[in-house]
Amino acid sequence: MPQLMINGQSYYSDSPPDTPLLWAIREDLRLTGTKYGCGLGLCGSCTVHINGRAQRSCLIPLADVPEGALITTIEGLHPSHDHAVQRAWVELQVPQCGYCQSGQIMQAASLLTRAPNPTEEQIVEAMDGNLCRCATYSRIVNAVKRAGEILREGLKNG
Amino acid sequence: MAETSQHTTAAGSATQPGMTRREFLVRSTATGAGVMLGIALGPGRLGTVAPAGAAEGMDAFTPSIWFTITPDGKTTVHIVKAEMGQHVGTSLAQVITEELEVKWDDVRLDMPQESAENFAVYGLAYTVNSGSVTTEFDRLSRAGAAGRIALVSAGAKLLRADESDCYAEESRIIDRVSGRSITYGEILQKTKIDRKFSYPDDFKKVPLKPRAQYKVIGKSIPALDIPAKTTGEAKYGIDVFLPNMVYGALVIPRTRYASRVLGIDDSAARKIPGFVKAVTIDDSSGKCTGWVVALAEKFPAAVKAATALKVEWDAGPYATLGSADLLREYKKLAQSTAESAAWVLEGDVDQALGQSERVLEMEYTTDMVCHATMEPLNATVAEVNGEWHVYVGTQSTSFARMTLTGYLAKVLKKKPEDLKVYVHQHLVGGGFGGKQDYDEILAAAYCAREAGRPVKLIQTRESNFATSFPRTPTYHRVRAGLKDGGLVAMNHDIVCGWMGPRFYVGKKYGSDWLQLDAVDGTKRDIDQWSIGGSDHWYYVKNHRVRAWNHDPTTWAVQASALRTVSNSYNMFVVESFMDEVAHALGRDPLEFRLSMLNGKGSSRGIPNTGYPPGTGSDYYMNQLWISLPWPKEGTWIPYESTTVGGALRLANCLRVAAGKAGYGSRPLPPNTGLGLAVSSAEERQSPTWVAGVAEVTVDPTTGKYRINRLTIAMDMGIAINPRNIEAQIQASALWGASQVLSERLTLKEGRFEQTNFHNYVPIRLSQVPKIDIEIIQSGHHPSGVGEPASTVVAPAVANAIYNAVGARVRHMPITSDLIMAGLGKG
Repeated sequence: MPQLMINGQSYYSDSPPDTPLLWAIREDLRLTGTKYGCGLGLCGSCTVHINGRAQRSCLIPLADVPEGALITTIEGLHPSHDHAVQRAWVELQVPQCGYCQSGQIMQAASLLTRAPNPTEEQIVEAMDGNLCRCATYSRIVNAVKRAGEILREGLKNG
Repeated sequence: MAETSQHTTAAGSATQPGMTRREFLVRSTATGAGVMLGIALGPGRLGTVAPAGAAEGMDAFTPSIWFTITPDGKTTVHIVKAEMGQHVGTSLAQVITEELEVKWDDVRLDMPQESAENFAVYGLAYTVNSGSVTTEFDRLSRAGAAGRIALVSAGAKLLRADESDCYAEESRIIDRVSGRSITYGEILQKTKIDRKFSYPDDFKKVPLKPRAQYKVIGKSIPALDIPAKTTGEAKYGIDVFLPNMVYGALVIPRTRYASRVLGIDDSAARKIPGFVKAVTIDDSSGKCTGWVVALAEKFPAAVKAATALKVEWDAGPYATLGSADLLREYKKLAQSTAESAAWVLEGDVDQALGQSERVLEMEYTTDMVCHATMEPLNATVAEVNGEWHVYVGTQSTSFARMTLTGYLAKVLKKKPEDLKVYVHQHLVGGGFGGKQDYDEILAAAYCAREAGRPVKLIQTRESNFATSFPRTPTYHRVRAGLKDGGLVAMNHDIVCGWMGPRFYVGKKYGSDWLQLDAVDGTKRDIDQWSIGGSDHWYYVKNHRVRAWNHDPTTWAVQASALRTVSNSYNMFVVESFMDEVAHALGRDPLEFRLSMLNGKGSSRGIPNTGYPPGTGSDYYMNQLWISLPWPKEGTWIPYESTTVGGALRLANCLRVAAGKAGYGSRPLPPNTGLGLAVSSAEERQSPTWVAGVAEVTVDPTTGKYRINRLTIAMDMGIAINPRNIEAQIQASALWGASQVLSERLTLKEGRFEQTNFHNYVPIRLSQVPKIDIEIIQSGHHPSGVGEPASTVVAPAVANAIYNAVGARVRHMPITSDLIMAGLGKG
């Protein structure tokens, strides 16, 4: 039975090893913030962090999750849901239906760890794989920039 | 900070003792938890009779319908509209809050459960037609004001003050003489409120605030549903778990519609660990035709089993049908004008065309598109002690309940009134018109019965595409009579699959009011949903629109409503063609449009009233065996129609958008053009006025193009929440951009060819243009903002492409191939 380290906790899934990580997270562990959208890595709704990097959880079978890998879902991004990206997302009122937004937020958070002050081109490149059918795109770009500001202010003040 | 809650609550029956159905109650009653102020607005269903047994098993005290104020001072606003990205709960709560004078931080939302009892109170829970604010604004304002009146009265008594000296502000009643005050919470802790307002008579007399005094309406308050959507806590239908539930995955049927299961070989599926069984869905609903659902303990196992099941079908009458066949048949059908039905008929079109100096005739076509909501369709259904519980995010909990009730009555051979069905609403992960069909609910219920366990049925992206309810393909023939430098006659012929008939299962072509009669004496019915928008607001003296229903399309592709419904294709045609006419006349498209948006004749506003509250415009829909009467006159309070002002408001939007975009005055880069369009979606009776300008750059060597900028000006009367409106306009404009750029669904051998987001391509971030928005607050009754902007983008882009490089594309989507063909390089 594979052991998963998710959001700092240890979980056991009784699903077979070819089960996509997404379904173990969502249906076995009931961390439903991670969403199913396409199952082929085309939409980004299922994005989680594995060892800090944004990955499509629908494409990774449990058997391929590296041993000891640290998995972070939207629920564990920040202990009090106050990550700079989450703050920016509320401040700029990004979500509409909201279904894709966990994936958008996880993707953006991963970008900002690599590039805390991303250019517009970097944002577009990093976020282009995340579909939003409500087309909240304009606010996503602005909110990623804003989250970068919040992070940098935090670093300065911290 | 105000909070939102997605928990379902059982708002109770309005038929409690002592309450008639035509009264508005403001009453507080002792409960276990203390005292509650309940507000009940009857009759809700506007004069219809409560179902038998409505009061049974309901809490005796809870007539809380639109909002509930509890002794802790919190106000919970009950929202029966679906939250699907438009933040409707926040907007409606702003309307109530404005008149109730409650502190915004004390406001929270919940979503009442759908039941026969609640339906009798709230009316139809149906979110459609961008109509929530338009239809609910007046009665929610009055409900809030009635609540305030009752609180002022009770508060004055407790303050030993004269009622006329007291006023309400920020959840307090204040005596302006003594300066003393009491909070709403304290009032409810100390006293009982029992006050009745008859509806509609007393309601009409409830004084409303002058709009100049609005403090909450017009404010860009953060949406109450947003925080939970950033933390993973927001609950959609797909996030439901029930004890002992089993998962269902659909075997993709041989055809979209009318396949019949002949046999199933489950030998391979049975080897999959966790496989439970294969269920052939009873399709007596006429809905889930050819559906086989694989049930398993886990969803991935259900998907594997669905793939492993070998199903043999009778492929039915549409097994060889393809998109090319449909277009061929449409063109043929359009030749037999005797079979058409006219729905717009002004002047004498044939005579005027005959007397024209020049007749311009063009053909336009549009492909199918589908909703492809990010949350695929799903439903979780449980039978508990003979009651059926549905957990879903849907645009209509009412139709979901009725549809399932009708279906179960057939399957279980029971009377509909003997069935208890409850629908527990969740957030909707994208609607766009695509969550007003209930196939998954029927199938999950049938599976729950077969398995004896709750079932959570989830469409995979592939099965979701395969069972789409697309916008119909369309064929248009438009003719313009030109004379004396102007447009004197216009004829628009439309052939497509009508969506109305599909909603009339068991009652095809009903006589309800929205199945309009033809105006040309042919006695044919017309489906307004499928041709609306062609009745545009330009004043053209001789104007005719004729329509043909291609019935096989309706059934073969299950044609349905998709964001703005027929406006999306009809505005593309009308607004592209208006540009063609302007160019043919040698006139500027802006000046030409303004000259015809003159408020004369058919472009005048109609001083009628809007749709009754508690309805959608399409109240006519008769889902399976259930009929809904249109509310009678005198049973509701009329409000100002959004048509007031007519084309003059549209002309104003056009001037604003054109000015803001620098139309005609700004230097443009090479191969770049600006294109204009106006729209009055969604229906002639419920317009929101909008104009758009697109700036597009075309590469004439490849036909590839980029939308650089969109400028949108919209007059929605009163802007309840401007920042949210801006978001809605951005989003719907990009929906329109997505449709013109790349969205395309095609039929081959009775099946849709597209399967996932690699071959069905919605707009992505890298394609997003700059969007400039102008919100025009004209002060008229508020109209809907969730859809209309999407309709101006495609024609504005088409017109910009023509202005950029001279290629006229008369097809949607506009591909680079079509542009090359338009340049003579195809």
